[in-house]
Amino acid sequence: VGLPADVLDGLALAVGEEHVRTAPGELAVYGRDATPLFQHRPDAVVFPASAAEVAAVLRLATAHGVPVVPRGAGSNLCAATVPLAGGIVLVLTRMKRILEISADELLARVEPGVTNAELGDAVAAHGLLYAPDPGSRVTATVGGNVATCAGGLRGLKYGVTRNYVLGTEAVLPTGEIIHTGGRLWKDVAGYDLTRLLTGSEGTLAVLTELTLALLPAPAASRTGVAYFPTLADAGRAVTGVIAAGVVPATLEFLDQRCVAAVEEYANLGLRLDAGALLLYGDDGDPELVGRNLERMADACVAAGAIEVTTARDVAESEALLTARRCSLPALSRLGALTILEDATVPRPRIAEMVDRIDEIAARHDVTIATFGHAGDGNLHPTCVLPSSEDTDGVHRAERALADVFAAALDLGGTITGEHGVGAAKLPYLQDRLGADQMALLRRVKAAFDPAGILNPGKLGS
Amino acid sequence: VNDRVGVDRAATARAGSVFDPALLGRCISCGYCLPACPTYRLTGDEASSPRGRITLMRALETGDLPADDPTLTEQASFCLGCRACEPVCPAGVQYGQLLEQWRVHQWRGVRRPILARALTLAVRWRWPLRLFGLVRRAARGGPGPTPTASLLLGCFERGLFPGVSRAARALLPGLAAPTDQGCCGALHAHNGDLEGGRRLARELGQRLPGTIVTTSGGCAAHLADTLGRGRVRELSELLDPARLGGVRVDGRRARVTLQDSCHLRNGLGVWREPRAALAAVADYVELPGAGDCCGAAGTYAMLRPRDAAKVLAPKLDAIEAAGVDFVVTVNPGCLRQLRTGLRRRRSSVRAVHLAELLAARPPGADDGGTAATAAEADS
Repeated sequence: VGLPADVLDGLALAVGEEHVRTAPGELAVYGRDATPLFQHRPDAVVFPASAAEVAAVLRLATAHGVPVVPRGAGSNLCAATVPLAGGIVLVLTRMKRILEISADELLARVEPGVTNAELGDAVAAHGLLYAPDPGSRVTATVGGNVATCAGGLRGLKYGVTRNYVLGTEAVLPTGEIIHTGGRLWKDVAGYDLTRLLTGSEGTLAVLTELTLALLPAPAASRTGVAYFPTLADAGRAVTGVIAAGVVPATLEFLDQRCVAAVEEYANLGLRLDAGALLLYGDDGDPELVGRNLERMADACVAAGAIEVTTARDVAESEALLTARRCSLPALSRLGALTILEDATVPRPRIAEMVDRIDEIAARHDVTIATFGHAGDGNLHPTCVLPSSEDTDGVHRAERALADVFAAALDLGGTITGEHGVGAAKLPYLQDRLGADQMALLRRVKAAFDPAGILNPGKLGS
Repeated sequence: VNDRVGVDRAATARAGSVFDPALLGRCISCGYCLPACPTYRLTGDEASSPRGRITLMRALETGDLPADDPTLTEQASFCLGCRACEPVCPAGVQYGQLLEQWRVHQWRGVRRPILARALTLAVRWRWPLRLFGLVRRAARGGPGPTPTASLLLGCFERGLFPGVSRAARALLPGLAAPTDQGCCGALHAHNGDLEGGRRLARELGQRLPGTIVTTSGGCAAHLADTLGRGRVRELSELLDPARLGGVRVDGRRARVTLQDSCHLRNGLGVWREPRAALAAVADYVELPGAGDCCGAAGTYAMLRPRDAAKVLAPKLDAIEAAGVDFVVTVNPGCLRQLRTGLRRRRSSVRAVHLAELLAARPPGADDGGTAATAAEADS
């Protein structure tokens, strides 16, 4: 068991002895990420400080056939960073410099270990915005965001991570350092490898530097809350909002269980008797934002809202958004095991999907709390169980979630909107892509990674 | 005798009996705590993050790691115990309690650091503390036969900073200050003797009549954990900012900032009150990262001085950059840590306790001069 002595020596030579860890306790903590039910110890944990060091590690791994799993903060929800085949966990948190923020070119160059929130704060100081804002933004690294093509609360109006990656520096498993894309908004020279690497979940290359597009920070931002009798009613309100000609920055919903859990954590005075809450908001020119908020409130009332209120100030808006980002962890107050999915359907079919989830939960006798990004049809049905030792419950939850995926595909949706495939959703991937695309994915993977060392057992396997 | 039972029980603890399973089961490993953790910020290493430490605790509990695994030993000790991970945890994990249970196991018997043993032993008996307080002229006595609130004199605070209890009494003359009150046991609870710490808190609760008023965030949080929040008030919770006088330096209003006490802020949620009091008497400046640990962390600065210094350095930079006359603390450990650090740098900023700063200018006074003379007279 463990890596051969010459590999360990080589790793120490590549990154320095103190940046190679093999103590059992260190291996234990890097054997999991934020995904429940997936755990496997690596044989070594390595902390490189540069692309050259990453290249040295990868050359060594390819030569010896040692698996390598790149990792940022380990906040992903699809077991993308669990080293299922052992080997090396390559932690990129030492590479956390913000190399450049250019207000003229509206871009930033960063190392992968900087967190989304750190980048957000740094560009905000220049009056700029980095739009992608996954729920885990305070913890998650930008490298991890790009590797999983993270979404977030602003998806409908602003898009997701892939819309903001202009270029990458990446190290191939065979040790070559490549630069894809760059500082240009227009550049069609060659296949779009930047987009291919975005969302490749550490299976094709290791990202060591990112060039990201920024926007001028919006002048104003406002948020409102509407309560509905049922989640399906909230779904209809979403259709109404879009029909009113608004593309809102924020359109999030929570069912009654989620509202209760979030309220217990955040104490915002949310109403607990309604079946669903819709958080809506917009940003931009103050007058336009005001008008859009009115139109959205009207659409909510028309869809049967019980109550509609607007946040008084920025602090209150921020508190509401922060609370929404904490929905998943807050749900663990209902049960210690929360299995979260992110089945996604075309927006007009949200209400239908919500009804199906209710029916599936009842049929399998499991508790499913649902929240999500109503604007882009990205739902987060979450199975809540008392503990992972409830094996019967876990089996029922797994069967229920398999039905949820099938229902999403049936409605023209997908098995994952923003969390990724990782190990958790690999069994369902062929249902979404079909056999031909699966085979193509494997050929793409082999072209990048002939020895198959990068994150084996995940995408492309 | 009770203590020996506590130690023996801990020594026989095996895998599967170290932690309260309900507390340990609460964490879902989302990782939202990572950026709040001072030791994770220092290392970028999952093992020194709250989530990583809970993974380690689970490995200890299930037997996946042996009881004396070096990473377990190191991380149980490297953690500051500041509980900054608690308010940011949406799942409501009570990390502070888990750490206390962890240290009971990790620091069982002879494994407890010698210095921690010496310190907890030193404050176990009431009479030396009493003597210490008398010699150092800490506050004493009471207003009448049936006081409704008592001042906690503290164990180390009584001897190191006796001016704090005198200042507290000057601010709240109705407080009783019985000298025979002992130590609250926070020191013990944080250093591997949870049973002993709880027992001392219960005894103190019986000995002190009425509400227990503290000038130490660490004691306040421990007493509230054991006796219930209703019995405990931190000084600033009882002050009426409108009745406080101004503090002036060189003929102008003093500029002050606050360093939070970790346990007061993260454990009891008290952070607005001291700010309100300061804003009433001086020009208040919010210290960037005021809620981040200063590295004192109870016995930590003594047990791991190098790590404590690494945590302290950016704090001192921030204090010096704030352009203030005083940095105010609400806990004796923080006061000692900041005062020592600032003096070593020959900084012009002075570290004082909240009670001392407020009491140096009695209500209604508006004359010039500095508060520093009274505030630093005891140190």
